[in-house]
This record gives sequence, structure tokens and C-alpha cells, in this order.
Amino acid sequence: MASLTHSTPHRMRRAQPMKLLTSGAGIVFVLYVLLYAIYAFLQPSALSSSTFTNLVNNSVPLAIAAAGETLVVLSRGFDLSVAGVISLTNVLMAVYPQEGPFGALVSLTICLAVGGIVGAVNGWLVAILRLQAIAATLATMIVCQGLALVILDAPGGMVADWVSYELTDRLFGVLPISGLFVLAVVLAWLVFKRTNLGLGLYAVGADEQAASLSGISVIKVRFAAFVGAGMIYGLAGFMLSAQTATGNPNSGTPFLMLAFAAVALGGTSLSGGRGGLIGSILGAATLMLLQKVLFSGGVSSFYTGIFQGVVLVLAIVFGSAFARLTGRRTAA
Amino acid sequence: MQEPVSGPAVPIGAGEVALSIEAIRKAYGATVAVENAAMTLMAGEVHALLGENGAGKSTLVKILSGVVRPDAGGMVLKGRPYAPSSISAARAEGVATAFQELSLLPNLSVAENLLLPRLPKGVAGMTSAAGTWQAGADILARYGLDHIDPGAALESLPLADRQRIEIVRAFVNARHVLVLDEPTAALADTQWLFDHVRAATAKGMAVLYISHRLSEVRALCSRATVLRNGRSIATVELSAATDGDIFEMMVGRRGHAARRAAASTAATLNAPVVLAVSGMAGDTLKDVSFELRKGEILGIAALEGQGQRELFRTLAGLRQPASGTISVDGVAQALRGPSHALRVGGGIAYLPEERKTEGILSGLSAASNIVLPILPAVSKAGLVSGRNERAASEEHAQRVEMSQRYLSFPIGDLSGGNQQKALLARVMATGAQTLLLFDPTRGVDVGTKQSIYAAISNFAEQGGSVLFYSSELPEIVQLAHRCMVLYGGRIFSEFTGEDIDEQALVAALIGHGGAERRASAGVH
Repeated sequence: MASLTHSTPHRMRRAQPMKLLTSGAGIVFVLYVLLYAIYAFLQPSALSSSTFTNLVNNSVPLAIAAAGETLVVLSRGFDLSVAGVISLTNVLMAVYPQEGPFGALVSLTICLAVGGIVGAVNGWLVAILRLQAIAATLATMIVCQGLALVILDAPGGMVADWVSYELTDRLFGVLPISGLFVLAVVLAWLVFKRTNLGLGLYAVGADEQAASLSGISVIKVRFAAFVGAGMIYGLAGFMLSAQTATGNPNSGTPFLMLAFAAVALGGTSLSGGRGGLIGSILGAATLMLLQKVLFSGGVSSFYTGIFQGVVLVLAIVFGSAFARLTGRRTAA
Repeated sequence: MQEPVSGPAVPIGAGEVALSIEAIRKAYGATVAVENAAMTLMAGEVHALLGENGAGKSTLVKILSGVVRPDAGGMVLKGRPYAPSSISAARAEGVATAFQELSLLPNLSVAENLLLPRLPKGVAGMTSAAGTWQAGADILARYGLDHIDPGAALESLPLADRQRIEIVRAFVNARHVLVLDEPTAALADTQWLFDHVRAATAKGMAVLYISHRLSEVRALCSRATVLRNGRSIATVELSAATDGDIFEMMVGRRGHAARRAAASTAATLNAPVVLAVSGMAGDTLKDVSFELRKGEILGIAALEGQGQRELFRTLAGLRQPASGTISVDGVAQALRGPSHALRVGGGIAYLPEERKTEGILSGLSAASNIVLPILPAVSKAGLVSGRNERAASEEHAQRVEMSQRYLSFPIGDLSGGNQQKALLARVMATGAQTLLLFDPTRGVDVGTKQSIYAAISNFAEQGGSVLFYSSELPEIVQLAHRCMVLYGGRIFSEFTGEDIDEQALVAALIGHGGAERRASAGVH
């Protein structure tokens, strides 16, 4: 009865330019290129390697923070602790600077560990004790902000020179070193996405019940998402410290809203199960580029927020309209 | 190993015992879901599990599949104690389940869904996209589902194919025991399933088959265990038990499946037209015209995907027809949405197909779910009055014979049958004079079905009009004054009163009978 026909492997590699374009990452990429063209038009030096490096350096902390947030959002969660972890790791970097490349490695390890511990606490509260993610991570964020204030009660301190110089420099005079960290995050994501845990992230985000009936350990997936996200926030704090070269107990606060904005701009559904980390990184880069474009266009920085919000709404509206036009709807 | 079964003596056939369960008990807080369940599954048999909704079938299925652990009692699988702590543990022991509420992930591909939670590995331990695709394609081919693209997102499949994927996944994971919980709820054509079940049992698999369709059970199963109020009442040889016997064991009272509608058919034929559809086309629909009269129950019979879904959603205002007109009480209307449909003429209310996603608001109480459309009427100064809500919901619950004690529970905690009753009460509470009911008894037990039939009949007797689609022909025969058969998006034929006959409907369902697809919907 089961007719054994030969399967057709060529179907597997269908060219999907439309699908790519309608995905969130595709749209935000197009948006980024357009904005960059405007930027280059307004300010011809935009195409120089030093301006680009500057832009990348500015974008990297938010891009990495948004990448971490994406892990949790994909599993249908929210993680507010991003602001707390960035503040905490930033003050640690500024108060306890470790000199030299080896010192940088120690600092990085500390940042990752701090983020991982906060993430594990979040994971314990949300995945195992089943607290609501917003409430639990709000609490850990406040605790981290408080800890940061205890360590450094006012802006100050000095980040190790090696970190603040080398990590904002260029490799071979062209490649922004900070961009390599983003690349490392992307590579790690591409590998992770192709593990059972990575697929589990999408499964749990779409339907927790169905995922568990499919044999996926929901607790494990949730926990891993929070720990991974926490470590990535730690990296974001590390990169932010390299940027600012100083400590500020409130340095993480602006990242809270912008990280979510970048995630949404990058096409990841805030209700989970859809999207990806690369889109969020592009989303973060777009938000930062927008600032530069507005600045070079002579628009007062007070207007930045308005533009960022409008672009966010337009990108989401455009994305869903485009998806509908190309018939990516589900069967009714 | 075999414990004695109560009720009629059962000659146990040849073959060894695959799974026996004994004195299983499971309570959720104060609610005892399963009081004392026992049964024996033989290798190579298809064993039916029968019972009303709330009888404990779903809980028993969850216990067998490792989703919940029993409070007491034990199970023995192939001579060894069996106490799975998770779905994966149950699968590892060779027990797999196709769940009634499909356990598939809409955002993943067909192949990924089939292979979860572990996908084929390629380079460096990473999952291999090509390997996943190929493994998915192999499985689909093995089960004759070549028409499904293993790389397609699950959500792009029609409901019937999603159900097939759920079933196939259980087949793939089952070695000793396969549990099929309402596997045909969305399948119009059961032949495919039956063929594969028989192939599996021929190799010694034990299949526990749960269905509300007795005709299917008789076609496929040899023995049946009846559950009532969480207790296994009896295990019977199906060839030796009449429908009446089984029905009595399930509900403790005799059913009556005579045509209710017969008497009033003539009266409705000359009643005023409340809903007239003329030349409607769009998507799958082609030139659909019909009239629905006051007090009439008009049934729609169709195989899966013949345009019935589009028809109902169009009439509910959820989609716009490409052409054609809809007149309500003689006035042409462009329905802009469900709330607009409620307001035109006497009002049109729609009971959607997917209870879980389109119907219930699972966090709210059953009472709140019922009074949702009439909130202004139960409010005082804009605030919802608890007492009014309670009174109004009791009134409407009564129309569908829903027990009042369920009203205060979150609706998500109720059985499917009670959820469906509450939803029917909700559409009736709107006060609409025309009801669109899409498969109103999908996946509910016989007792609930009778209540729903009675509620629909009463509604029509009081002058309301009902257009309903059903995947079960006996239901249309029993309930409808008039019946239209949709085929390929057209109204293929129409039957009135006594002419509504299962045999005739079956012929019409498959067009001129030319196609090789065998109609099935409850008929064998």
C-alpha cells in the first residue's frame, strides 16, 4: 500500500530568494543598505574604513545584547536582565581592570561567568519554578543594577587600556576587531541552531505543550536559553566597556528597550518560535546607523527616538504586508 | 498476566499479552480522572477504548504515553513492569501515541516534526538538513504520503495532512503498543489509516484505538474496553455486542438515533428565507447558490476540502467572496466581519472549526466564555456583574444541557465535550437567528452529541435557522431537514427530508463515483 516512489532530493534545495527576502532578516538587511546609501550621500566619509569601524564599534554592544535577547524571545520568553548584566559587567570591568591580553581574557571570562550565573538564576526561576519570565527577570535586573551601584556608586573607573584600545582597533587596517566578536556570536548561533537544543528553542517557542509531547525537554530548552542569553549579555557588557573605557552603574539601562526593538526590527516574533539571531543583529545595527544618518543629516539628537520608533513600526508593517503579498500565509 | 475482566466473558485470542494495566488511578487535586482502570492489550489486536468525554480516556492515554504518572496501580509491558516517566521514556519502551489535540509544531518542517526530538546528524554533530529531509521523505514514502513535501512548514498543510503526520509519527515510534486517540477527527478518508493499522497489527503491534465513531471501531477493532466515570466497566468482543449494548455501557442509558427532523421538514419548506446566497464564488467556491429558511436545519455534507470551510468563513464575514451576493432577511449584505454578521438582519453567529485555537478563551471560566458576546447585557454601569454573568450563563448552559457545576471552572480544564457545549451556548447567547455550525460535534462523545443535537433541534423549533457542516453522515441524516452535498466547491446535489439517506449521500460525496477515493465519513 505504501507506494515506494523515489524521493526527489532536488526539491530540498529549492532556490528561495523570495522566502529570504520576506524573512525578517532580509527586510532589515535591505533597510540597512538603503540607510547606508543615504549615509554615504550625506557624508562621503561614510565609506572610509575608519568611519565604518566607528560605526561597527558603536553598534556592537547593542547587536550582541539583542542577539542574547533573541534566544529567550524565540523560546517565548522575555528577559529584562539584559540591562542588569551589562551594567554589572561594565562596572566590574572598570573597577577591576586586568591589564594585557591575558588580563583581557580573564575579564572576558568573568563577564561570561557573571552573565551565565544571572542567566542560570533566571532559568531556575522561569523554567523550573515556573515564574513569569517578565517578573522573574525584572527582579534579577533590579538585583544586578543594585549590585552594580554597590560596586561603583557613580560613573568612573578605568577599563584596562589593552581592552579599550585593541578591541576598538582594526585588523590589517580594515577589519573592525569588535565586528569579529559579533561574527563569533553568529557562528556559534549557526552551530547551535543545528543542534537538537537549537531546534527545541523554536519548538518550545511555538507551542510548549506540543513540544513536550514531541519528546522535547521544555525545562532544558528554557534553562539553556536563559543561560546562553546571560553569557551573551556578559559579552555585550565586555564590548561596551571596551567602547566607553569607563564604568557607569546605569550603562545597561538604554539597552533594555533598544534590545527588544532590535529583536522586533530583525523579524523575530515576540510571541516566540519565529525569527533568528542574525536579524536581531542587523536590527541593532540599523537602529545605530539611523542615529548616525540623522546626525549627519543635521537632525537634532532629540528626534532620534521618534525616528527609531517609526522605523520599527514601518519595518514590521512592511514585513507582514510583504509576507502576505508573496502568499506566505498559513492554510486557513 | 491477564487479570479477569468484569462484564461479559471474553475469549482471549491467540497471541501474547502486549500491555496490561491494572487498577490504575489518577486524581488531579480533588477531581478523580481515573478511578480504577484495567485492561489487557494483546499483541496484534486493535483494541477500542470507548467512553464518554470525561470518562477518563484522555487521562489513561496520557498515563500510557508517559505524560502523567498514575497515583496507583501498575502496568506491565511485554512481561516487564512499565512506568514511563516521560514521553521519551515511553517511546524508548516502544509505546507511542497519536494525540487528539495534535502535538505538532506549526513553525517546523514536516520532516523535523516527524523526527523530533532528535534529528539526523551530519558534520561535527550538527543536524543535517539534507539528512533530515531525506529521513522525512523516506518515512512519508513508507506511509504513502508522497504528496507531502517533507521540507514544507507544517502550518502550510491542511488539517487532514497534519493529522496524518501526527499518526505517522506515532507509527514510526511505536514498536509494541500504538495508541491512536481520535485519529480520524479530521480525516474524511479512513482507508489509509485502516490499511496501515492492519499492516502494523499483522506484525504483532498492539493498537489501542479511541474513537467516537462506532462504525469505525466495528470496522477495525476486535475487542473494546468501556470506561465510565473513570472505571473500566467491561471488555467486550465487538462482534457479540450490539450498538445498544455498548451505548448502554458507556452512558448507562439507551440511545435513540431516529430522525428527529422528519416531522418538521415540510413546515420549513415554505417558511420565509432568512439567508440567501446567490452565485457565490472565490477561492475554491464555484457558483454556490442556496437559501436557508426560517426554522430550517440545513446540513452540508462534503469530503475534506470541498469548499465547506470557505463557505462558512465567508458567511461569517471572515473572508470576502470574489463574486456573488449574500442576502440576509431579503437585504443584500457585504459582511465585514463576525461582529458585523451578528448585527445584520436577525444576526448570524458562527461556531468555528478549531475549538482550541478559534473558540475557547482557555484562561476564562466557562461562564465568562458563554456570556462574552452579551457582556453589555450582563454589565451594570459598564462593569460586568458577577451575579448577572452567572445567571445568564446558567440560562444558556441549560439550553445545551451543560451541567452548572462546570461554569466556574476555567474552560481550558474542561473536557472537549463540555468546551463544545459552552461554545454552542455562546453562539446561542448572541441571540442570532441564524447559526453557522462547523462540525459542531467534532471529537465529542455520544452523550454530548445527543445534547448538542437536542439544542440544535430546539433552536430550530423556536424559529431559528441552522446551517451546519458535519464530517459524520449519520449526524446529517438524523438532524437535517435538508442536506446539500458540496463537491469541488459546487453544490453537487441536494436532498430533502426522507430522501436524506446515507447511501445516497456517499455516492454524491465522491462526485459521480468516478474517483477511486472511497467515501467514509462514518460509513462502512
